[in-house]
Amino acid sequence: MIATGAGVSGTLLPMVASAAAGAAKEKSSPPASVRIADLASLKVDVPVPFTYPDENSPALLVRMKQAVPGGVGPDGSIVAYSQLCTHKGCPVAYRPERKLLICPCHWSSFDPAKAGQMVIGQGSQPLPRIVLRVEGAAVHAMGVDGLIYGRHTNVL
Amino acid sequence: MSRVPLPPRDAERFSTVCQFCIVGCGYRVYRWPMGRSGGPHPDDNAFGLDLRKPQPPMGTWLAPANHTVVTDRDGSRHHIAIVPDPACRVNDGMASVRGAGLASTLYAPDKPTKARLKSPLLDEGKGQAPVTWDAAVDLGARVVKAVIDRWGADAVGMKFFDHGGGGGGFENNWAVGRFFFSGIGTRNASIHNRPAYNSEVHAAADAGVAALTNAYLDAQLADTILVVGANPYETQTNYFLAHMVPNLQGASLELKRATFPGEPVEAGRMIIVDPRRTMTVSTAIAAGGADRVLHLAIEPGSDIALLNAIARVVTQRRWHDVAFIRERTETQTYEAYLRSSLGTDRASDEFLAEASRLTGVPAAQIVKAAEWIAAPKAGGVRRRTLLHYEKGLIWGLKNYENVAALVDLGLLTGNVGKPGTGISRLGGHQEGYVRPPYPGGRPALNVDEALRRGELKVFWIGGCNPVLTTLRAETFEAALAERGAPVREALRATAGRPIGERVAAVVEAMKAGGTFILAQDIYPTESARHAHLVLPAAQWGEMNLTSINGERRLRLYPKFMDAPGEAIADWAILARFARRLRALYAAENNPLMANRYLDYDWRTDEDVFIHARYSFKGDGSDGMEGYAGVTYELLRTLGNNGIQTPVRLVAGTPVGRVRMHEDGRFGTPSGKARFIPAPLPWPGYGGAIARQKARFRFWVNNGRSNHIWQTAYHHRHIPFYADRFPIPYVEIHPDDAKSLSVASGDLVELRNDVGTVQAMAYVSDAVKKGHLFMLFGQPRGAAGDLVSEHVDPTTTIPYYKGVWADLRRVGPMPEALRSVSLAPTNVAD
Repeated sequence: MIATGAGVSGTLLPMVASAAAGAAKEKSSPPASVRIADLASLKVDVPVPFTYPDENSPALLVRMKQAVPGGVGPDGSIVAYSQLCTHKGCPVAYRPERKLLICPCHWSSFDPAKAGQMVIGQGSQPLPRIVLRVEGAAVHAMGVDGLIYGRHTNVL
Repeated sequence: MSRVPLPPRDAERFSTVCQFCIVGCGYRVYRWPMGRSGGPHPDDNAFGLDLRKPQPPMGTWLAPANHTVVTDRDGSRHHIAIVPDPACRVNDGMASVRGAGLASTLYAPDKPTKARLKSPLLDEGKGQAPVTWDAAVDLGARVVKAVIDRWGADAVGMKFFDHGGGGGGFENNWAVGRFFFSGIGTRNASIHNRPAYNSEVHAAADAGVAALTNAYLDAQLADTILVVGANPYETQTNYFLAHMVPNLQGASLELKRATFPGEPVEAGRMIIVDPRRTMTVSTAIAAGGADRVLHLAIEPGSDIALLNAIARVVTQRRWHDVAFIRERTETQTYEAYLRSSLGTDRASDEFLAEASRLTGVPAAQIVKAAEWIAAPKAGGVRRRTLLHYEKGLIWGLKNYENVAALVDLGLLTGNVGKPGTGISRLGGHQEGYVRPPYPGGRPALNVDEALRRGELKVFWIGGCNPVLTTLRAETFEAALAERGAPVREALRATAGRPIGERVAAVVEAMKAGGTFILAQDIYPTESARHAHLVLPAAQWGEMNLTSINGERRLRLYPKFMDAPGEAIADWAILARFARRLRALYAAENNPLMANRYLDYDWRTDEDVFIHARYSFKGDGSDGMEGYAGVTYELLRTLGNNGIQTPVRLVAGTPVGRVRMHEDGRFGTPSGKARFIPAPLPWPGYGGAIARQKARFRFWVNNGRSNHIWQTAYHHRHIPFYADRFPIPYVEIHPDDAKSLSVASGDLVELRNDVGTVQAMAYVSDAVKKGHLFMLFGQPRGAAGDLVSEHVDPTTTIPYYKGVWADLRRVGPMPEALRSVSLAPTNVAD
């Protein structure tokens, strides 16, 4: 019954920038700050896949067109979320024409400009947010706000 | 929350069913004492899963919303975890947004659900204050008795739930029916969402067709699914996602081939009749492709014209089921239907053109719908079509003829009683109806109007909130306030006096137009606010209850925690009143009246379940709810897959029924189905409706949404749901919004000749120009405030969807804009 991604842009299981692997080996300790991307490389509406807090936890960084609540960067427009839908854990994709993160399995949609709020769908919570910080010319992941799908604790 | 506690291996386990919508998804409940916790090793947690690793997609995940901590009456505290049941055939391990939050609806003294009613309350003019059960029941029973003795049974009015699921079920329904019908004997009864005691589908019953005929499996087997006036992605979620979507995707082709050997099969098609381009339309297209989905965006009130026009095309092309009509229907009704509903005395092209003009649906789409419903498959094999309908049709222009037109189309094409077919409501709440017969006739009395006219000396509201949901809701609330005031004054003036004096004072207030108001509920609702006596009820999980879902699947929803404070089950509340009334009449040596309240000595939930069971024979003659021979023990054994009613006893063994009418018999004296001919192919708008329509700019469609169940009685308290729509929304087309300088997130006011209501603008092309859509029954904006007094004279069912109003911008709501997403919701395709 799972529809996989027909007409959905964005990669399904990205394995880019999974620099958190080292941090995750230290069980129960919070993951270290992880560098995700150069500020200069970020383009509006072009999502950057990464993993955090470990390589099994796909996430998406999105630079929105304008400042959004909780956004970082020079114009407060950069946000990142766990890519795992809070319904059944399918990877959401960013749809630039909708400005939404949409799940290909049961079509839950989440608004990156509203703290990951579920617009419509069957999840039980907003998409967990990856806490970001700009250090110098790069964006770093610092932590997770919300429990990631499939886990009883974010750092397994 | 970044961590959830895990249930240990020895956690107590219960199988239960969601309290919310008709689909009735199965869930597993785990309960374990505070201070203990399971571990991630598979041997250390009740799931038996290795939680040291993240769970895969479609796996079992204990989300924070699935967990809470409850406090029982002995002070003990327990973790509760509620996760969807992967072994339940209904939902296949999936939760909806509503079911996912079941744990967060449970009473907890340190959580938002602390708002629950915990003790009986009495308003003696200084606000509602706690009172003992004994005092509450004594006062209430004496007042009820005084009213019956002086004015007769019909002076006791009531508006009560009649549903299954949370706050209902066979147990509570039986007690309500016995108390008000066998006991009091009032005809001034009404059902939770409407002003009278009537079926929403009298026409289906008159045709001999059950309200819920099919199995959910049939949605995987159908060639075509017709959905009229419903939005199943949002409001029958897992029936749609786990059964309809796989069919559209072609994922049930193997099942079709295995079930129908030699029959041509392909991926399913879906026809959706809805004025809005809903998330259901969008999702169906995403799942099945635009060429397998037909969206007929009709104009309001034109369902009859549309369905009859489709039927006319079917007959003209000779696609009707001649054998079924001849063998299974009363043929004289078929001939009458052809003449009056399908206008066969008029030219087909002319008939179709008129229907197209009335409905706004192009004639080609009407023809296409007829093809998808009834054109034979390769080799002349009959197409299997599953016909579904719900409130868009039921709350429509003419309730009786609306439902008749749909049922007639199903009979015309022989689509009932076979795999892959059915003529069924999609349903709102669950079912679980078992009551002695309502003493009134048809059309039933309009209880709202009786209250306004001062004919009700007692008005008892149970498990519903008419101040938010009824028609002309503002004036209904005004009537409650006005009629309640003199009684409140009588109670104030006699506070502390002997009970006889108090009741006499209340009766004097009634002579002057007063009404004594009782409210029985789980929360202090907008309606309960007006009550003199408030009676706290138990909810789902706090008592054992039984219900059926949309495919008549009967299951046990067990008690796994205590009700808050002194709250007790609805049946137990009514049993207390019945016993008190019996004692009061017995004390007057009036056995005739005392004996109306016999046999309320139920000790357990199952006592009531078994008592009600004597309504059923188990010989094949029972209605769709029949559960002859079923016990709690049997239901515990069957778990979340339960047994499908009506149950027949075969050599003493209960045997369920997958679909209704499979034996070719229908619920009429002849056993044959009846076509219900309408007097005209389309009745036209009535007086008050026509006037409103001519005067105001927008048609105000209204209904439910994905996130919010009914009046948000739970969801208004739970941040995840309440924060999604702090103010109920009204969808408005971008062109209309522009012309009124309205932007998404603005506060707007709707106004017509009935009343006013506020809402948050949600600019969306889901609605057509000139149409609006808002939520019904919301605490901060009830669409009912705009609904006119018009009801179908045949059934006393309101035209809730028939509202026209003007809209104006009030101003911006910056906080809503900051936190509430106003992105379009129909975004799957």
